[in-house]
Amino acid sequence: MGIKSFSRQRAIHVMLVYTGGCNGCDIEIVNSVLSPKFDAEQYKVFLTWNPREADILVVTGPVTTFNKEPLKKIYEAIPEPKLVVAAGACALMGGVYKNIHGDIPSEEIEGPVENIIPVDAKVPGCSVRPQDVLAGVVASLPELLKKE
Amino acid sequence: MLEEKKPMETIETEIPMGTVHPAALEPYRVRFFVEDEIVKEAEITVGVNHRGIERIMEGLPVEKANALTEKICGICSNAHVWNSVRTAEMGLEISIPERASYIRIIMGELERLHSHFLYLAHGCEVLGHETFSMRVFYLREAIMDLLHMIGGNRVQYGCSIIGGVRPRCDLDQSKIEKLLNSLKSVEEGLSGFADRFTSDSILMSRIEGIGLIPQKQALKLEVTGPTLRATGVAKDLRTTMPEYENFDFNIITQEGGDVKSNLLMRVLEAFESIKIIRQAVDELPSGAVIDRSWKMVDCEPIHSYIEVPRGTLYHSYALEDGRIRGSIIRTPSMTNIGAMQYACIGDHITDAQLSIVQCDPCFTCTDRAVEIIRR
Repeated sequence: MGIKSFSRQRAIHVMLVYTGGCNGCDIEIVNSVLSPKFDAEQYKVFLTWNPREADILVVTGPVTTFNKEPLKKIYEAIPEPKLVVAAGACALMGGVYKNIHGDIPSEEIEGPVENIIPVDAKVPGCSVRPQDVLAGVVASLPELLKKE
Repeated sequence: MLEEKKPMETIETEIPMGTVHPAALEPYRVRFFVEDEIVKEAEITVGVNHRGIERIMEGLPVEKANALTEKICGICSNAHVWNSVRTAEMGLEISIPERASYIRIIMGELERLHSHFLYLAHGCEVLGHETFSMRVFYLREAIMDLLHMIGGNRVQYGCSIIGGVRPRCDLDQSKIEKLLNSLKSVEEGLSGFADRFTSDSILMSRIEGIGLIPQKQALKLEVTGPTLRATGVAKDLRTTMPEYENFDFNIITQEGGDVKSNLLMRVLEAFESIKIIRQAVDELPSGAVIDRSWKMVDCEPIHSYIEVPRGTLYHSYALEDGRIRGSIIRTPSMTNIGAMQYACIGDHITDAQLSIVQCDPCFTCTDRAVEIIRR
């Protein structure tokens, strides 16, 4: 393990991008990091709103048309190495918003997130449980530390 | 007393924010027009989150559509299902068992508690007091556990269905005991928080007079919910809803319409919600929680208004062959956009985010297609 990975594993910065879901996953993720009950900060996982500081990008929501370009820009602004965690049913497969009646796609939705940026870990659930988000972030950590 | 704030004629400096911005959790766009760091005009643009729920609802079977309305908002999900189901029940002329109505009220009030706690936590975080924010988040977890216990999920619990509530949401003795114990500890924690909060002179001087919305302006902008009541107007739809007929509760009002009165408003309303839940549990009628003996008929557009944590929620649709036609949803945050814009005017640019947050915005609710009719 290089010195970079060694120091990085002591300060993982997670950035949350919210691309138009129902707010449920969003609050649960902020909750899992900030709230005193789950408190990811005790495992040295911090929430940041600056993409240039972030190591892990957590994306929620089905990516509406308006949010497609901002999401790409944010992804590009994150320095290498970086990981993307897609959280929630909407981010994984477009959720209930993806199709209007059967297979007719909705023109408002560009998702799932995989169509726009590469995804490394997926956290299912509607909405995601804070425990699952933590598990997803922790499971993706070895991948991050391998990349120098 | 309170002077009307008027924007200047020509404003040269513009500070745009969004659609994704570190200061705002949700994606929306706001433009501040500033002069010497004082906001003279603000403009909020929505539409980033638009997913077209009403469009997807069109032509769906009514049961499916009711489940879909839950996905409008992750904060007041129960309120949307409740009102959507209520619309169908009004159209099909179904009277639900009394026990089901009581359980719906318990869920509704628990949701009001978690929504108000989220508001307090988020508000304290935005104004820079993280200790208070953590304290409220900790109280909120107890409520989330109760919602998980009754509804089976932390956020989307889908409690109401046509004819009553889902049988899994029925309350047995052990659940009631846990509910009452948790409420007791939440009430203690909340009164501790309220004492500490109001006696903090630094905090009080920070939030007093920020984000003013005069009563006259609030009425003109058709503001609803706690934001309106914080300006001194005692208007609460719960007083006219037949579901709340047997309950004894006060309508809280505050004078001022600034951030301080808005924050205190939520604290005091939370105590009233706890009171309502206690009454509902004490007088919980026995019997079935669901009545499935209803028949599907066609009906004209039905209009249903209920009071949800953020204000007045409106659902409307017609039924044809058991399918939804012409669904219209108006959410409380949608009507409060005017207040958010107005509250920023006249304050420092650093307080602008706080002024928006004091109106309890939820931009997933807010992003509806609107047609402005000028008269």
